[in-house]
Amino acid sequence: MPRTTTVDCPGCPPLRALTFDALGLIKVIEARGEQGGVAKVVERWGEPETSKCVLAASIDDSKHDPLLAVARKSGLIEVLNPLNGYLRVSISNVSDAGARPEDDAVVGLHLFRRQRLESASRFCTLLTCTTKGNASMRSIEISNLPEESSSSSSFKSWNVCASGTILCSKVDRSENYAVFGGKGVEVNLWDLDKCTKIWTAKSPPKTSLGIFTPTWFTSATFLSADDHRKFVAGTNSHQVRLYDTSAQRRPVMSFDFRETPIKAVAEEPDSYNIYVGNGSGDLASVDIRTGKLLGCFAGKCSGSIRSIVRHPTLPVIASCGEYLDAPLHLDLSGQLFAHLGYKVTATSLCGLFLNSIVVFLKQHLTEVVFDSTFADKEVAQAAADPHIDETYNMKEIQGDETETLPVKRKKASKEKDNESKRKSSKEKTESKKSKSKKKSRRVKVESDDDA
Amino acid sequence: MGGKRKKSESEELIEGEKDNNKNKEGSNKKKREILPSMIKNKEKRSSVHAKLKHEKKLEKRKKLKARDAAEKLALELGEEPAPRMVPRTIENTREPDETVCRPDDDELFAGNDADEFSSVLKHDRTPKILITTCRFNSTRGPAFISELLTVIPNAHYFKRGTYDLKKIVEYANNKDFTSIIVVHTNRRDPGFYLTIICGCLSDALLVIGLPDGPTAHFKLSKLVLRKEIKNHGNPTGHLPELVLNNFTTRLGHRVGRLIQSLFPQDPEFRGRRVVTFHNQRDFIFFRHHRYIFETKESKESDSKGKKAKEDSKSKKAKDAKGEKITKEKVIARLQECGPRFTLKLISLQHGTFDTKGGEFEWVHKPEMDTSRRRFFL
Repeated sequence: MPRTTTVDCPGCPPLRALTFDALGLIKVIEARGEQGGVAKVVERWGEPETSKCVLAASIDDSKHDPLLAVARKSGLIEVLNPLNGYLRVSISNVSDAGARPEDDAVVGLHLFRRQRLESASRFCTLLTCTTKGNASMRSIEISNLPEESSSSSSFKSWNVCASGTILCSKVDRSENYAVFGGKGVEVNLWDLDKCTKIWTAKSPPKTSLGIFTPTWFTSATFLSADDHRKFVAGTNSHQVRLYDTSAQRRPVMSFDFRETPIKAVAEEPDSYNIYVGNGSGDLASVDIRTGKLLGCFAGKCSGSIRSIVRHPTLPVIASCGEYLDAPLHLDLSGQLFAHLGYKVTATSLCGLFLNSIVVFLKQHLTEVVFDSTFADKEVAQAAADPHIDETYNMKEIQGDETETLPVKRKKASKEKDNESKRKSSKEKTESKKSKSKKKSRRVKVESDDDA
Repeated sequence: MGGKRKKSESEELIEGEKDNNKNKEGSNKKKREILPSMIKNKEKRSSVHAKLKHEKKLEKRKKLKARDAAEKLALELGEEPAPRMVPRTIENTREPDETVCRPDDDELFAGNDADEFSSVLKHDRTPKILITTCRFNSTRGPAFISELLTVIPNAHYFKRGTYDLKKIVEYANNKDFTSIIVVHTNRRDPGFYLTIICGCLSDALLVIGLPDGPTAHFKLSKLVLRKEIKNHGNPTGHLPELVLNNFTTRLGHRVGRLIQSLFPQDPEFRGRRVVTFHNQRDFIFFRHHRYIFETKESKESDSKGKKAKEDSKSKKAKDAKGEKITKEKVIARLQECGPRFTLKLISLQHGTFDTKGGEFEWVHKPEMDTSRRRFFL
C-alpha cells in the first residue's frame, strides 16, 4: 500500500473545457464559482455515432465570435460555435473522389486566430494534415447557415512527406511555422507562408552495438511562444527530444521517460518545463534544459493519455485519454510546484503531489481544449451584451431591408428546434440570437457593397 | 537464567489465565489482558490459543442457538422475526464509484454497439478461438488447455513453436479466428498468466485507423483441474450457458463483454451446462457446472412432519389427501465439472498485442490501491 498524503483540494478556478470522444460527442465541462468550484459536465452536443469519431480539434477562443474546428473520422471538418455548439460550416476534407476518408485520416488540425483588424471579415483559416502527409490550408467563409458556406479561393495544398505516416503536427504561437512528424518521418519544420520545408531533423546515430531505432514520432510541441526554433518531440520508443533548429539537426537533448510510448507533450509557457504523457497513463513534468523529472502527476489516470493542454492564463492543465476510469483530469499545476518546492529537500523528486479534479466522461476521449474566455464570462457577457444590443439597435434605426431579417431569424430558430434537446442557458440563446442578427446585418452590408 | 525467567513467566501467565477465566465478565477491571501472541513458549501459546478458540466457538454456537430459538418463538406467536443482521464485508462497504454503469445510460449502449465485440455478440460472426501457450510450457499447462478446450466451444489448440505472438495474431486474423488465448506457465506448477486477445480479426475493411480488439492480461491463480475435484462431472458437448456476475463499472463491463465474446451467444439449454465468471473484489472466479432439476417426492408422515404440517396447514388445506401427503418439490442440483481458477486483471490494452508501442486502456498501478475497499471491475 503506498503512502499517501492528503492535500486539501481548494477546488478548481472557474474554467470551461471541451472534450471530444470516440463516439463523436462533444462535452462541455464547467467549473463555476470563485473558489472551490466543482467541475462537471454541463452540456453534450451531438449524437453517439462511430463514424463521427473526433480525430482532431482546435479552438480559436477570441473574445469576439469564437470558433471551434473539429475533424471527424468520416472526413468532415466542422466549424462550430464553442459557446453553444451550433454548426457554422461543414466541409469535406476528402480530396479525391476515390479515396476513402478512413484511409487518410486527419491527424492535425489548426484553426488560425484571426487578427483584430481582420475579425470583421467572415473568413477563418484552417490547416489540416492527414496521415499520408497531405497538408492543406484553406479559408472558409463563415455564414450563419451551413449550406451557404463555401471554401474560398485561397486553398493551398502540399505534401509533407513522401513515405511513412504523419502522426503529429503542431503550429507555433506566431502561426507562421508548423512542425510535422510521424512513423518513418523525421520531424520537419515548414514555413506556412511560403509552403516550404525549412528544416529536417536527422535521426540519432546508431548505438555502439549498431542498434538503430526506427523513426517514429508521436507528439510534438513548440517550446516557447516567441521562438519557433526550439521544439520538443516525443517518440514511440519512449524518448523525449529537444530540437533546436538554429543549432544542429540532431536533438540537443533527449531523455527516456518510463517504458511506454510518449503520447502527448505540452509546454508550460514562459518556462522550460514541459508536460509529458505516455501510453500507460503516466503524466509528468520535466525540465527540458536538464531532462530532470520535476514530478509526476499521480492521479487517477490508469490508461493512455491522448492529449494534454495547458490553460493559457490559469495554472491548470487538462489531460484526457483512453482510460475508462476517469477520463478528464485537471491539475492545478501552480499547486504542484508549490508542493514540489516544499518537498524537494525532504525526499526524492518524483511522485508526490496530487491535486487534481477528475471528471468521468464515460468514453474514450481523443482531445481536450480549454475555452480561455470563460474565466470572466459573467463579466464578459454583461459587457458584450450591451454592445451587441447597440449594434442591433443601430441596425434597427437604419431600418432598411427589414424583410430579410425575419427570414434569417426563422432559420435560426429552426436550427434551435433541432437542438432543442440541448439545454442552453437563456442568456446564451439570447446572445446567440443577437449575434445572428448582427451577422445578418453584416451579410446585408456586404451585399450592399457588392451592389 | 533464561530457564528461570521462562518458568516464572509461565507461572504468571497461568495465574493470569485463571483470573481471566474467573472473572470473564469483569475483565475490564484487569489491568492487562494476556494475548496468546505475548506468550513466548510455543507449547503454552498454542494450548492457550486453542482454548480461546474453542471458547469462542462455543459462544458463537450458543448465540446462534439463541437466535434460532427466538426466531422460532416469534414464528409460533405469529410475529415477524427480528431481521437478521447483514454482515459488513469489504465488498458491501465498497467505496462509491462514479464509473458504475447505470441501465439508463444511452451512451453506454451506443458505445457497446460500436465496440469490437459487437460483431460477435450480435451473431454476425461465430466465435472461433485459438489457444496457444508460451514457448516453454510445462506439465500442467497442456492439462489445463485440454480442459479449456472442452469448456470453450469452437476452440482450437495450436502448438506455439517459436513463433512471435504478433505473427500468430496475423495468422489468426487470416484464418478468421475471433480471439486468441495464450496460457503462460512461468513457474512449473501454480503460476499461470493468461492473455486473451480478442476480436483481433474483424474484417480489415471495417476498421482501418485503429487495430482491433483489446488485449486483456490476467493473472491466473488457484487452478484446480477436473481430476482434482471430488465427484466431478464430465461435460457434454452442448453449447454452455454463460453467467457473468457483478461486472459493474465501465471497465468491468468491457471485460465482461470480452469474456462474453469468447462463447457462442446461443446456449443449448438441453445440455444444462453453465460456465460462470463471478467477479468479487476484482477477482474473477471461474466455475463450470452441470445442473439438473429433480422432482423430489417428500413424504411427510405424522410422526415426522407434525410441526411442519401445523405450520403450513393453511397452505395444504386444499390438498385433501389425508394423513399421507406426497408433495412434489423441484430442486436443482449442481455438479461441478471443472476446471476451477481465479483471474485477476492486470492490464487492458487497446489494439492487439503490442508490449512496446501499445496504448493501455487500463493498467493496474500500485498507487491506485489507496484503499482495500476500492475496486475497479
